[in-house]
Amino acid sequence: MFDSALSALASLAQPSLLVMLLVGVAAGLVMGLIPGLGGTGAVAILLPVTFGMEPAQAFALLIGALAVVHTSDTVSAVLLGAPGSASASVTMLDGYAMARRGQAKRALSLAFLSSMAGGIIGALGLTLAIPLARPLVLSFASPELFMLTVLGVSLAAVLSRGNVVKGVLCGLLGLLLGMVGTSPTTAEERFTGGSLFLGDGLSLVAVALGIFGLAEIATRVGQRRTGRNLVTLGGGWGAGIREWLTHWTQVVRGSLIGIWAGVLPGVGATAGTWLAYGQAVATSKDKRKFGKGDPRGIVGPESANNSVEAGDLIPTLLFGIPGGVPSAMLLGMLLTYGIQPGPSIVTEHLDLMYLIIWCFAIASVVGAFLCFLGTPTLARLTKVPFAVLGPGLLVVMLLGAFQGEAQIGDLWVMILLGVVGWVLKATDSPRAPFLIGFVLAIPMERYYYLTASLNDGLGWMARPWVIVFLAVLVGPALWALVKLVRRRRDLASDDGHAAAAQLMHSDDEAETDGLLKNSPWSLSVAVVALLVFAGALWASSGFSPEAALLPRLVSVAGLLVGLVLLVQELRHRKRWMRSGLQESRTVATALRTFAIMIAFLSLVMVVGYLAAVLVFVPAYLLFIARARTRTTIVYTLVLGLALITLPSLIPVDLPTGLLG
Amino acid sequence: MTIVAVHSASPAGRAALAHAGREALLTADDLVVVAADPRHRAPTTDEVLGELGDMADRLREAGLTVTVGHSPLTDPSEAVVQIAQQHDARLIVLGLRHRTPVGKLLLGSTAQRILLEATCPVLAVKSAAS
Repeated sequence: MFDSALSALASLAQPSLLVMLLVGVAAGLVMGLIPGLGGTGAVAILLPVTFGMEPAQAFALLIGALAVVHTSDTVSAVLLGAPGSASASVTMLDGYAMARRGQAKRALSLAFLSSMAGGIIGALGLTLAIPLARPLVLSFASPELFMLTVLGVSLAAVLSRGNVVKGVLCGLLGLLLGMVGTSPTTAEERFTGGSLFLGDGLSLVAVALGIFGLAEIATRVGQRRTGRNLVTLGGGWGAGIREWLTHWTQVVRGSLIGIWAGVLPGVGATAGTWLAYGQAVATSKDKRKFGKGDPRGIVGPESANNSVEAGDLIPTLLFGIPGGVPSAMLLGMLLTYGIQPGPSIVTEHLDLMYLIIWCFAIASVVGAFLCFLGTPTLARLTKVPFAVLGPGLLVVMLLGAFQGEAQIGDLWVMILLGVVGWVLKATDSPRAPFLIGFVLAIPMERYYYLTASLNDGLGWMARPWVIVFLAVLVGPALWALVKLVRRRRDLASDDGHAAAAQLMHSDDEAETDGLLKNSPWSLSVAVVALLVFAGALWASSGFSPEAALLPRLVSVAGLLVGLVLLVQELRHRKRWMRSGLQESRTVATALRTFAIMIAFLSLVMVVGYLAAVLVFVPAYLLFIARARTRTTIVYTLVLGLALITLPSLIPVDLPTGLLG
Repeated sequence: MTIVAVHSASPAGRAALAHAGREALLTADDLVVVAADPRHRAPTTDEVLGELGDMADRLREAGLTVTVGHSPLTDPSEAVVQIAQQHDARLIVLGLRHRTPVGKLLLGSTAQRILLEATCPVLAVKSAAS
């Protein structure tokens, strides 16, 4: 085992791997600055670039980016008071307060160093997890692996923020979407309507970029940066570095909390950082300065949000259940390389596992170093309004989704899912279980098929680990029931923690999140979901019994959960808020943005990608983002040049139109 | 010096506020009110004065101030302890509600955490009804 670790380190001496790692780090740092992208956006945008690479290089690139996304997202939180990602909003509490007192460099050096340490401790955690989990993983056969996939989706659904019913519904919808295409057991086509394009199933990149990326663009384009100015970079780096050393216990505690939050599916960086902040406050005697620039309020959460990404990888690589959205995409990628996570990765691909760990640790150090060097430049990037970034991101994301199968249909799917993602986001339905369900649908079905054909009857249910997983599955359900009963009794004023947790959830995302909660919109989510499940149930009647089993189970479960949600929504009807000005404006902006995306894609189908970009981007910048003429010209030229040169640098295809 | 009253919209919370008002009058301390129920909006100073009734007038006549304290911390118990520390408070007054034994076992309690973590004396008050 020690040998594999060393040989993995030696393999990193290859220039190609190092270059990929550095490119990944640079890309991750930039993407951390762009609000709303985070680890999900970074992996989704870079994933298409890795098509055609060796697994080692692909992982160097992706892990490099994933490890540092949470290092640079602090910059805008500290200097601008506007967090680059939801998880950085915790750092903002104390970091921005410190920066306003002229100690921005102190705050940033504390944050960068903590991020670095968080990454390294996270990588260590991942290393220690291998020998601990190895005997366990090797004892697993298909019944355990099947239970793990079930567990992955259900834990993500239960632990995600907000309403559990919505979480379960989203997980089931994701599973159903993952079953579109060829059945893994009988090779018959399901839910494709005879379409050849759908026969291969939906592309993971298109789904992830639609549900998260495009939905994010649609909500954020309408937001204009307030006239807030950057805080000047005051204070010395040295003071922060010395101070950081005195808070090493907070670093360790924050990182451990982060790893734990990462291991749990559906609990991501955001919840992890709030937990770390909570423990920093709870364990300190003198609470006076929290929220007013207490270094402990920066160190703990910043360590946590980097180690979360490493923690996410533990269940992903060892058990094949993704701990979060970025790792769900990594899992999808592993599967396309034919590497089965779980038993096979700890026996045949151990070197890859160690390579991932080394990449994570090295990227954390390099990322923090680059942040120290580049902060003045990075700081200026944070001032760019999202409306200006929007069209560029759209162009990059659509291009990314096109790389998988080179099918323009993928792009339509992506925009359609963008609308779905936006509605889910606006109605406060968690999207992580959706994507995790999508990724795990096929493995779940394959393992079930293996389980059913290798074991007679239900004897496999009595295997010890299956029973343990069943208990874990039922436990949260019982806990949810207890919580429900508690809420019924309306023990309002004294259960501070649960209430604080709810509040924590409500203000850790952008303000527009859940704006349409308790409105006709969320009622229609329930109705549409019911219709989808009913349709799937009807369609699955035409499949052979083996291919129909799981779709039917998912549809029936979906119908039941959908009915519960419908009842909940109808009961909340009295609390529907009168549609306010802000609400209708958000909806209008989002609808307009999606209309623009559709128009752009139609243009692409006619004149091809490059020409469409050269028409669309300046038009958008001038008339919608109202950018300056000079900015528009430079922006368009740079984007155009990049699109012309890119295909000769890396294997990228541009969509062609009717006119070429 | 200052007295911190933990505010919540319940009989126990109102009892705590009233008692804190009486204490403030007795020892001539300023009153800082902290909301402990994150599901409701924090009360405004006027609302607190309204709840205090004629005690508010007597506090004003004695030259004492009544303010609402705000904290960036989301956990109400941490917020109360933080504000008490920031004002160097002499006393924290909070309301306790009746609980079944099972309820005591299951629920993390704001009151309990304030009792354990506060760095000044804490006075617990029960409402007349319970």
